[in-house]
This record gives sequence, structure tokens and C-alpha cells, in this order.
Amino acid sequence: MEKLSCRRPLYPLAGVFAGIIILVVGLLLAKRTYGWCYLAGVWILFFLFGYYKACLAVIPFAAAMTGIFCLITYAVSKDAQATLSAAVRILAVCVAVIPGIGLKPSDLVSNLCSVKAPRSITLGMMIATSFFPLLVKETAQIREAMKTRGAGSIIKPTVFYRAFLLPLAVRLVNISDTLSLSVETRGFVVGDKNYTVYKTVKFKFKDAVFAILFTAGTVAAVVTI
Amino acid sequence: MSAVRMRNIRFVYEGCDTPALNGADFFMEYGELALLSGVSGAGKSTLMNIICGIIPHVLKGNLDGELYIEGKSAKGLSMNEICRKVGVVLQNADAQIIHDRVESEIAFGCENLGMTAEDIAHSIDTACERMLLDKNARTRTLSGGQKQRLVTASVMAMRQKILILDEPLANLDGQGARLLMTSLTQLARSGYAVLVIEHRLDAVMQYVDRVWHLQDAVLYQVKDKQKYLASRAEYIDDGVGKILGTGDAFSLEKVSYSVSKKDILKEINLTVPKGGRMLLMGQNGCGKTTLTRLMAKLIKPTKGKIVQNVAPHSRRAGRRWFKTVGVVYQNPDYQLFMPTVKKELEFGAESAKYALELAERLGIEHLLDRHPHSLSEGQKRLVGVAAVLACKPEVLILDEPTVGQDYQGLKRMVGVLNEIHLDTGNTVIATTHDRRCTDALCDKAAIILDGKISDEGGKEKARAFLDACSKGQI
Repeated sequence: MEKLSCRRPLYPLAGVFAGIIILVVGLLLAKRTYGWCYLAGVWILFFLFGYYKACLAVIPFAAAMTGIFCLITYAVSKDAQATLSAAVRILAVCVAVIPGIGLKPSDLVSNLCSVKAPRSITLGMMIATSFFPLLVKETAQIREAMKTRGAGSIIKPTVFYRAFLLPLAVRLVNISDTLSLSVETRGFVVGDKNYTVYKTVKFKFKDAVFAILFTAGTVAAVVTI
Repeated sequence: MSAVRMRNIRFVYEGCDTPALNGADFFMEYGELALLSGVSGAGKSTLMNIICGIIPHVLKGNLDGELYIEGKSAKGLSMNEICRKVGVVLQNADAQIIHDRVESEIAFGCENLGMTAEDIAHSIDTACERMLLDKNARTRTLSGGQKQRLVTASVMAMRQKILILDEPLANLDGQGARLLMTSLTQLARSGYAVLVIEHRLDAVMQYVDRVWHLQDAVLYQVKDKQKYLASRAEYIDDGVGKILGTGDAFSLEKVSYSVSKKDILKEINLTVPKGGRMLLMGQNGCGKTTLTRLMAKLIKPTKGKIVQNVAPHSRRAGRRWFKTVGVVYQNPDYQLFMPTVKKELEFGAESAKYALELAERLGIEHLLDRHPHSLSEGQKRLVGVAAVLACKPEVLILDEPTVGQDYQGLKRMVGVLNEIHLDTGNTVIATTHDRRCTDALCDKAAIILDGKISDEGGKEKARAFLDACSKGQI
């Protein structure tokens, strides 16, 4: 996912908030004939603000999902308007996730730290984002190690699962134990308010321009369409 | 005033009968770099855990005796209060990294201590300079040694005057070890109290001011430091001295391996003699482990060809192949899965009798009824080696097998490996940073530098490489 992230993302919380607004407004406008125009406008806006990788990445997914849901809707209702509404709903979801895809989790965490969100949440988010790559890596390592011990065959399921699940459980428990000890020995305390934030995320001019354009577009869409 | 003082400390883990530490009197002085050594599983980490408050706050048990930190009793102090005075570098660097950038990882501890942004920036720069780290680097792409240096840097940046490091050299190459020990010496000279818990005495002996030894839960200060260190840092003699087979077990022709457009190995040409002992050497992240994985058929080369003559009819990396080619991982946790050590050794073994004989020869017969994952890191590694040896593989691939071994354990392990090599004429391919056993594990050495073979030859090449590392020429 990091390959799709934007080099200079918008103010992360603003991006997340924009995503929620797009979803809500997109669903509200689903039954209007030109609801898709709003979504197209927002897509272009994100593209121009540097989210082009994420914008392009959602196109195949959006096309496939829209196609499937439109077919199902038309087959059930035989109604062109209902089919168009279904397409707009799917497109709303696809456009709403663009700021999320284009955002590095670490930027969001930094932003939350900057606004002094509870540290248990920010640290939890940071650990959670690193957990899935870790799980994938550990699983691959264990599968490889099983083969070297002659326990990689599924013909003997008891040995297979034992040789897979036990090392995986042990590794994950060890990692979480070490991680929590490391965090505590580095002075982390839940609820501590006397900590500093080294790198704060600031609301920049670019963010203000985006906010104005996005708000104007959304208000115009709600009022006119 | 001592930085740390322990009086008559006794600790028994919850659910155990025997003490892990018995009547320990210990101190750390400002301006000194001390070493704590002892056999694997003797209780060295327990001592560290008591000083930094992990015991009794996280690990429970019966703790008696007195502990003073910076002259004040530690009784009643929270772990957080202790950790503001005592910096701790734990084992297993890989599991301790939370952030995606080196800079953020180092800043984490400083933020927790409430340091100002300017102070944090200064601390990050100093720590990165000391540990030769790029603050903008991504943490996931760092090698094992670089990760070890990162966790050390992240503790150094917090500026506690008391520092304890648990096996910090375990995954470091010669250059990394020298860099770390020099930095720790500089810190000690500038008034810090530093304690290093370490097995690799050859890498620390020239730096330490005071030595503590822990055996059978009893701690004592070593009087004759030089004699103690010298006796545990001697190079192990080679009991073989010649290649036992003819021809090549593996022949690599222009083998390259890359991941995500990053070249790990570049056009490697190498032959591994059948019945010989091949030692792969090089700095952290140079591609040694990748090369062993390629030969073990765990991964495929991106370019080039590997010809093997050990199991000509074995094209796939299946059960039959791994019966012929035994692989011992750097981290034993991945390979141990049976409920007891005995069953672990017997799994896939040529015979149960041979497995038990190996346990005796490697000095782990007293652990046979224990769960493999309840053992210390050094003991687990011995079990891992024994479990693979019990299958009598024709080729034995050992990735850093000596990590976490005390000197006697190391001597015994190398001795057993060589006895089996003499008995069976197997081919051994090993990677190690430990100079004490390079002579005893080497008929042919290949030095890898930036993914290429920079030099190859006999023991003299391995020695020359290690000498160059210790002099800072590499």
C-alpha cells in the first residue's frame, strides 16, 4: 500500500474527514441524475493535489465493482435509474478511500500525536500498522523452516499444524512481549501527559486551498444537484 | 556514590523452586564499563531485569534483598521512574522496532522523557553519528546488525547515565562490534555507568574495566580480569585440517539475487568442496544468509545457475532434499515445535539412540524433558543444531550457530560438529562473525562484500578479513 502513498499528503485528519464527507454526500446524491459529476470532480481534485497514484489505482477496482453491482441491480430491478444509483454508490466508496490509500499510516499517527490524541491509541495504531507485514514475514519464515525440518507436508496434518502453529504462536508472543518491554523501558506510560511530540504535522497553505475547493464543490453539489 | 548497588539479592521465578539469582552483591560505578558473563541460562538477563524494574513489575516472583539506584532505594519506584535513570537495550532488536523511520524510532524514547524538540533533534544526530545510521532510512529495510545498532542508538539518545545492554554484539559483525564498544567506552569515560552482558569476550575484552561472572545463580567479581578474558577468548583449534571429499558439492555460476529491484547478490561464482567446510564471511547485510538460502533451495536465483552434486535426483526442495541438506536457522524459534527436547531431537532422526547420544555430546541431556521454547536462547540454538544433526544430513548449513553460546558451549558445539564431520565426511557451510571459531570451522573461506565475492581462499583469508575488520580497514 505504501507504493500508492502520496509524497506530500494533505493534512492527514483533513484527508480522513474529506473521505467521510465524500462517502456521505456521494450516498445522498446517489439518486440524483448528475451525482457522479460530484464524484468525478472530487477525483480530479485529489489527482491535482498529488494523489494520482491512489486515483489511478482505484480505477480498475471501481470499474469491476461498478460493473458487477450494476449488472446485479439491473437484473433484479430492470430499472436504469436504480442501476445508475448503484453505480454512484460504489463510486462514492471508491473515491472516499483515495485519501486513505494515499496516506502513510505513520503520517496519520504523527498527526494524531500532534493534536495530543491519547498515546495508547497512537501507539496501538503504530503497532497495528506494522503487525500485518510482520505476520506475513513470520508466516513465510515458518513455512520455510517447516520444510527444512521435513514437516512441510500436509499429508501429516497433526505435524503440519504443530510445526506451523506452535512456532507462529511462540514468535508472536515473544515479539509482543519484547515489544511491550522495550516500549516500557523506553519510558512509555499510558496516560502520561508530560511527553513531547518531536515532529508535528502542520496545516499548510496547500491544505487550506484544498479545504476551500472541496467545501465549495461539496456545498455546490448538495445545493444544485 | 555507586550508580547501582545490589545487596544480597535473591530471586525465585513464580512457579520455580530454585533461585535464578542467589545472594547477589553487585555494583556499577560511574565512569566504568563493566562486563557480565556466564554460561547460557545462568541468570544474566534476570540480573538486568531486576536493575531496570522488569522484575518485579512485569515478571513476577520472590525478590529479596536491597537495590539502590543512584544512591536511592529502588523499593517503591515504578518501572517508569527506574527507566528514566537506567537505559536498557534488550535482546532481539528486530522485535523492538515500532516506527517506519530511523529518526522516529530514536525520537520515541526521548519524547516519552519529555525532552524538547531541539534536544531530541540533537540526540538523534549524535546517536546516528555514533552508530553510523542514516536517520532517514526505513527501519524495515535495515539488516539485523543495523537494527541492533538502531535499538542501541534509541536508548543512547535518551541520555540516562546508567546503561545496560543485553548481548548487544549477538548479530554484529566485526566493524559493528568495534563501533559499539568504542562508543560505550567513550560514554563510560565521559561519566556513564555501562554494563554489557555478553558472550563474545574476544570482542569486548580490550574495552572492559570490570568483569562479573555468574554461575549457578551465584554472582562474583572476577579478580584477574585478563586471565579470565584470555581463557574465554582463545581461538578454538581445528581438529580436522583437510577437505575430506573430492569434487564440488555446489557450484554457483554467475548467481544473482534481487528483491524489489534491490540487488542482494551480484554474479556470484563459487564452488563448495564436497566433504569440506565452507565459511561465508562478511559484514551485516552483505548477503551471507541469502547465499545459504539459495544453496538450500529455499529461494531461487534471479539470474545464474546453481549446480548441486549432493542429491542429483532431488530436483525439488522437498522432504528428501532436506534429509540430505540440513539447515540450521539463525533464529531457533522457527524450527522447534515438539513438546519436549527429546521428541524434538527424535523427530526425523536417523535413530532415537543417535539423537540421545548427540544430546549427551552437546551437553543438553539434562534438558530432554523440557519444552524447547522454555529454554534460554543459547540452549535453544544447541537443540536446533542437535535436531538437524540427528538426521545425519550430507550437507549441513549453519547460519550463525554460535550466537548466544558461552565459551564452553561454543567449544563443545564446534568440537561435536568437527567430530561428526570427520566421522561422516559431510559438507559444512557456515556463516559466523565469531572469530574464536573461524579456524575450527573453515577449510575454505569466501568473503562477501556488497553482494559480491571479494576474496576467497583458506583459513588465512578468514583471519585476514577478521584482522582487517578489527583494525577498521573494512
